[in-house]
Amino acid sequence: MKLKLVLALVLGAVTVSAMAGQAEDQQVKFRQSAYSFAAWNTTKIKSQVIDHPETYNKEQVVAAANAIAAVANSGLGALFGPGTDQATGWKKTRLKAEFFEKPEDVKKLAIAFNKEANELAKVAASGDKDAIKAQFGKLGETCKNCHDQFRSKE
Amino acid sequence: MSVSIKIWDLPLRLFHWLMATAVLAAVVSGKLGGNLIDWHGRIGLLLLGLLVFRVVWGFIGSTHARFTSFFPTPTRITAYLKGQWQGIGHNPLGALSALALLATLAALVVTGLFANDDIAFQGPLFTLISKDLSNKLSGWHALAFDALIVLVPLHLAAIVYYARIKKHNLVIPMLTGRKVVPKAQAVELSGGGLRRFAAALTLAVVAVWGVNYGASYFAASPAIPAATTAEPSF
Repeated sequence: MKLKLVLALVLGAVTVSAMAGQAEDQQVKFRQSAYSFAAWNTTKIKSQVIDHPETYNKEQVVAAANAIAAVANSGLGALFGPGTDQATGWKKTRLKAEFFEKPEDVKKLAIAFNKEANELAKVAASGDKDAIKAQFGKLGETCKNCHDQFRSKE
Repeated sequence: MSVSIKIWDLPLRLFHWLMATAVLAAVVSGKLGGNLIDWHGRIGLLLLGLLVFRVVWGFIGSTHARFTSFFPTPTRITAYLKGQWQGIGHNPLGALSALALLATLAALVVTGLFANDDIAFQGPLFTLISKDLSNKLSGWHALAFDALIVLVPLHLAAIVYYARIKKHNLVIPMLTGRKVVPKAQAVELSGGGLRRFAAALTLAVVAVWGVNYGASYFAASPAIPAATTAEPSF
């Protein structure tokens, strides 16, 4: 009887320790997926509007811009829980620990990303390629600003 | 007795000032990002051409442009530190600085060719390697930049030091090509010449053309799966 109890406790402890960090890992998986999906869409816009304007397809660019805006508006902040700078999603996160020490900076960066992504969706709908290009550059700056500050180099 | 002689040939001077301008432009465009990242990439290709030219010119250029004439061997460095070095081109410490700058810029350019920023930029050779390796090289690109922002101020500080303390103006010779030297050390430039210049320039152009367009012969252009927009859209 006593042995069974000990066994159960040991098994329980092992399971709990294996599960520790799982919630964080899951958050990282979701956010890595979200940004990868956004990157597929930025790449399409870059290709059709800037690199190969002869391939411009308004519907595709609108779809891509809407997808980026949807990612930006999806409440990604929830995927940056405490401890997620140490977690591993599809691969080890590159989030710097400073992310959690500078919430004001994070807020500013996040708001900028949202604003420019929503603006890009609006401009894409207008079909004005020059305006899309300019707004795409602004969106890219918000990505870069956050990467420069809170994403470690590989 | 001092005489004014020609020390830096015209291609070398042009290289130097184009390099300085292009590096400044690359730093600014790289830091600002946004749509300027495409200019950053173009400037990188210009830098590639300049570096290839400089390396070739280091073998077939005129006297003081050649690596063998200024390569900072231990003997030369020791002599210089003891104040016994005699020469009129790059002194051994200056040569170390020049080679370190060239090596750092070469590292920046080569890693940049394979780099990506996960936003909207991929170097012209990105498709030849895996994304993971490209990420790694992008990290090295940043490391090499850290080295550059140490070396460039050192380079400038040395110029100020030589002007103020040693009373040697290094900037004017790099502009005019001429320098006043003790008569005993005055040696006329040899080598270089128009045909060799044309050869070095051709190699530089071919290198730039090769990386910019050549990659597409070895790897398919970036496979960006396009979206389907037919109704119902999936």
